[in-house]
Amino acid sequence: MNDISEAFVSSLGLILFLDAELLEIILLSFRITFYAVLISSILGIPLGAFLASTHFKFRNTVVSILFGMMGLPPVVVGLFVYLIFSRSGSLGWMGLLYSPTVMIIAQVILILPIVCCLTFQIIESLHTHYNEFFRSYRIAKLKSVIAYIVDSRFELTTVVLAGIGRSISEVGAIIIVGGNIDHITRVMTTAIALETSKGNLDLALGLGIILLATAIVLNGFILFLRGKYLKTPGSTI
Amino acid sequence: MAFEDTQITINDLSFNIEGKTLLHNTNLSLNGDGITVLLGANGAGKTIFLKLLTGLLTPCSGSITFQGRNLSIKTRAFVSQEPVILRRTVLKNMLFVLEKITSEKSTLAKELLSLMGLDKKEHQNALTLSAGEKQRLCLARAIITDPEILLLDEPTANIEPNSTTLIEKYLIQKVRSYRKIFFVTHDINQARRLADEIVFIHTGRVFEHSSAENFFENPKTREARKYISGKIN
Repeated sequence: MNDISEAFVSSLGLILFLDAELLEIILLSFRITFYAVLISSILGIPLGAFLASTHFKFRNTVVSILFGMMGLPPVVVGLFVYLIFSRSGSLGWMGLLYSPTVMIIAQVILILPIVCCLTFQIIESLHTHYNEFFRSYRIAKLKSVIAYIVDSRFELTTVVLAGIGRSISEVGAIIIVGGNIDHITRVMTTAIALETSKGNLDLALGLGIILLATAIVLNGFILFLRGKYLKTPGSTI
Repeated sequence: MAFEDTQITINDLSFNIEGKTLLHNTNLSLNGDGITVLLGANGAGKTIFLKLLTGLLTPCSGSITFQGRNLSIKTRAFVSQEPVILRRTVLKNMLFVLEKITSEKSTLAKELLSLMGLDKKEHQNALTLSAGEKQRLCLARAIITDPEILLLDEPTANIEPNSTTLIEKYLIQKVRSYRKIFFVTHDINQARRLADEIVFIHTGRVFEHSSAENFFENPKTREARKYISGKIN
């Protein structure tokens, strides 16, 4: 018990005095999360909006596959990306294995289906309401997709935040493709796993506190936005 | 009103869904201007008929021509019973339906909003408007696209009386003279106030088509007489 309380106090010291190693790990975590969520949102939100508002032959098959991909096991994704980017893999010549770039790629594979499917669900209900209006005024497809995104902005913010939460807390895939290399690919979750196994609880707890605080702030923000959105006339959730 | 200048021709128009005929073979020659009221009880097939005219539904058979050519969707604007309002300001709702926003169109949008009594609310979130104000906005939004034909599906069904009065007054005084209007209603008094001609629809069939005066003074069919006397709702 004493060890734990000492480690806790020590970890608070690391946070308060902005320990350089701690700061480096946190910043890398945020950088990887930022790019992974940015790419997933740029691709996933328009794709989800397009799928929700368009009917084509294999639409249901595409949607079913995407929904299935929401539950992809991170370790399997990590292994898959590792095989592609390893020296003997098809993209091994790029030399990206054990770099932050490949960690972002793995994160995008995990987050993109989540962003896309949540966007699909939100815009599908809006599409039911707008569809006849858009058709009667012959609104162009691109303009209507943009309108769906703009008019769902509050709900879509929560989708992005959900993506951030998923990305920042992910460990299985990025530890395989990133290798948890000190000063290069070590992020909060992989560092916690390593430091705990080494018995270095100060740093592990410090990172754990930051991770927990990030999750709480994100969830708080989601609830705040949801409350704000529910006060908006015409809200449907 | 005379019908010599017939401009809208409907040939053998029918619509079925899942084996059920919702509109039976319909042949009509309609006036190219003024207000045509599609009158009938709930579930008679008025909205189906209007949506076929709008192009939102594709007929199972038949055709609709306007001034001898196929009815292009560009010439039409549709206002539904439930106002569809985008989650943005009143003015942005107006401008959304335009292909290109010019200064003239922006000025026109403001003028139309003023006519609809919404000039002081142009920067307000459109979702905060009352039901009647929303429907007035929808009507103004339809007009700004400069349609040759305006199709209105019970636009005053769920709104307050002052909005109904404003819309009716606007249609009669400002729109009727230079645009063809189709107006769906089951309100006989409203039909009396607005109609130049009446198309009476019952159980998916057009039972009567005549000038409003003839229809109300001398209905030809038993169904129309029963409807006017309130025996069919």
